[in-house]
Amino acid sequence: MTITANRENEKLTLAVSGRVDTISAPELEKAIMENTDGVTELVLDLADMPYTSSAGLRVLLKAQKLMNTKGSMKLIHVGEDVMEILDMTGFAEIMDIE
Amino acid sequence: MMKKRLHFKRNMRSTLIGAMVILLLVFSLIVSNIGYVTFSNSLEREYSRYTLNIAKTGETLIKADHIDTYLKTGGAGAEYELSKHRMDILCKKMDVNVLYIIKPSADFLSYTSVMNCVNENKVNYTPWEVGHEEQSGEDYIEIYKDMYAGKIDNAKVLRTKNLNGAPPHITTLLALKGEDGAIKGIFCVQTPMEELVRGRVSYLTYIAISMFITALFVSITAAMYLTKQIVNPITTIKDEAKRFAVQNTQAEEQTLENLSRIEEIVSLADSIQVMESDTLKYIDNLTAATSERERIGTELGIAAQIQTGLVPSFSRGFPERTDLALCASMTPAKEVGGDFYDYYMLDDDHVALVMADVSGKGIPAALFMMVTKILIKENAKISGHTPAQVLEFVNNRIVANNPADMFVTVWLGFLELSTGKLIAANAGHDDPAIYRKGGSFEICKSRHGLVIGAMDGVPYKNFEITLNKGDKFFLYTDGLPEATDANETLLTLDGMLELLNAGKDKTPEELLRSISEGVDRFVGDAPQFDDLTMLCLELKETGSAKKLEVEATGDNLEKVMAFVDSVLEENDCSPKSQMQIDLAVEEIYVNIANYAYGDDTGTAEISVSVEAGELTIVFKDSGTPYNPLKKEDPDTSLSAEERQIGGLGIFLVKKNMDDVAYEYNNGQNIMTIKKKL
Repeated sequence: MTITANRENEKLTLAVSGRVDTISAPELEKAIMENTDGVTELVLDLADMPYTSSAGLRVLLKAQKLMNTKGSMKLIHVGEDVMEILDMTGFAEIMDIE
Repeated sequence: MMKKRLHFKRNMRSTLIGAMVILLLVFSLIVSNIGYVTFSNSLEREYSRYTLNIAKTGETLIKADHIDTYLKTGGAGAEYELSKHRMDILCKKMDVNVLYIIKPSADFLSYTSVMNCVNENKVNYTPWEVGHEEQSGEDYIEIYKDMYAGKIDNAKVLRTKNLNGAPPHITTLLALKGEDGAIKGIFCVQTPMEELVRGRVSYLTYIAISMFITALFVSITAAMYLTKQIVNPITTIKDEAKRFAVQNTQAEEQTLENLSRIEEIVSLADSIQVMESDTLKYIDNLTAATSERERIGTELGIAAQIQTGLVPSFSRGFPERTDLALCASMTPAKEVGGDFYDYYMLDDDHVALVMADVSGKGIPAALFMMVTKILIKENAKISGHTPAQVLEFVNNRIVANNPADMFVTVWLGFLELSTGKLIAANAGHDDPAIYRKGGSFEICKSRHGLVIGAMDGVPYKNFEITLNKGDKFFLYTDGLPEATDANETLLTLDGMLELLNAGKDKTPEELLRSISEGVDRFVGDAPQFDDLTMLCLELKETGSAKKLEVEATGDNLEKVMAFVDSVLEENDCSPKSQMQIDLAVEEIYVNIANYAYGDDTGTAEISVSVEAGELTIVFKDSGTPYNPLKKEDPDTSLSAEERQIGGLGIFLVKKNMDDVAYEYNNGQNIMTIKKKL
């Protein structure tokens, strides 16, 4: 899994490429936690993420809670299968998804 | 609490004191009344006597015989003058209102004044001249009559009304008799009432005040006495009783000792103390008995847990194998039962089947059951042993260590999966039922050896049958045919066969469930009398299950995923299903890797098989018993802040898979997931 970061002043876009599972989730978490100083808008581009397990969901939840205190977070280009998971777990209700 | 206490004390005291004061008042009222009346009467009498004496004195100053003469002469003559003069002096000296002599008329309706002395210092009447006539007062007529009739000598009349301007007064009358004893006239003395009235009023006032003071004094004294002697001790007793009722503990200070010298109060205090100590003793005994019972209950609970670990109440055997389907269940009548089943692979092609029934129920049976189970297994695993040999060995072992003279019936069989050949031996157990494909369940009879544990050196014999693909084999204990309803009717073997045949086309798992339900329906409200134990096996088409064994660490996740994915690809699994299955596999495997072995490591075994389009994956580990399905589903309606981090994984597994099951058997956590591809 690779993560590409794009910082525009207070807006940070992270493009996730590959599967997010128990092994790779910590990497994603690290990327989010370490790069959000001064960020008020976090965008996660999940176009290339075909799969996430509950480990990935945990990271998303942590990120959402963090950004709730700093500004906002949104998920974009969410694939159909991943969207189904987000619906099932109720994450779709608490996250901004485009 | 304080407020209430004061209120109560006031009540008891105020009731007593109130009652006392009222009684004292009534008493003093009565007494004053009596005193007043007595005094009044005596005062009146004294008054009358006094006035009568004046009249008697006056009587001596006039010659009664000459009254008629005086009337005729109009009071002329020195004799009359002298009498009048003396009479005047008497009147003034005696301090009376009027002294007068009259003579009533013949009909007494009027009278004539003979002599009339008025005391100007007291009243200002106009003195009557001699011969003055007056109407007789009503009260007087009777008196005149009686006097003239000789009935009375003197009389007294009180005048408080109809005074005609005169103040209230008393008139005393005295009959004046002549020498011959006949009455000639009447002597009247009139004295004012004021003295009498004043005397009485002052007496009344004096009495009232002294009564009041006395009553006050007495009631205060009585109040103090009652309070000290009765109210306080009783209140102390009541307080202690109340405290005890609430606290149920020994009193810190012995407030009930030496409370009073009154017998009843002392007796009451003693009784309360006795009751308290008895109650405390009773509470202690009850607490001890209850905690003993709880301890036994806890231990029984633990025993039940241990037993469930060794003999699960519902068990699916070898879910990863496709060449057989096996299901077993045990429902104990009490917390712990004496029946057991067992099954295990002796090698890759042979499975051992055990069904047994220990005499008795409860903990003793359970202990015996466990020993037997272990002995059988250990001996069965020794290669080359036949069921009969195993039973002989186990029997001798048990007979040697059977102080309670218990026994157990056992049915033991070894099934060769590749050929369907079943070798079995029977130690006094119920004959199993067999279903041939296309037919019906029938009892499969064979020779019965003696029950295990009765006698040593007992021989057992093997018998053989062959199972074909699609056949079913059913083992049970007598709790099933002997299931009893409320009318004490037994299910019987026929009833059991009926239930079996009603579900003969079901899978072993479905069959056991439907038999369970059938028995429940049959038994109805009657309590379960015996343990209910069954095992059903179906020999199926040979399938293949792929198995992977890895060290349960996170690093091996990729290997596990690749393993599963390869099977999925072989079976043309859709990408979406594959993702869902991958998710499930990752969740379950990562759980095992992280938690099953704590700080140590161990192995995890993953078996994958596909049969009739249905995927079955079985995860086994020998770590800490843990049922991931017990975790509550996360509340998906909570906000981001409220959401908990955990529980998501297994939630997704449950949602995405068609069937998820957990079992702990023979020291292994077994997690089975199924999904239609």
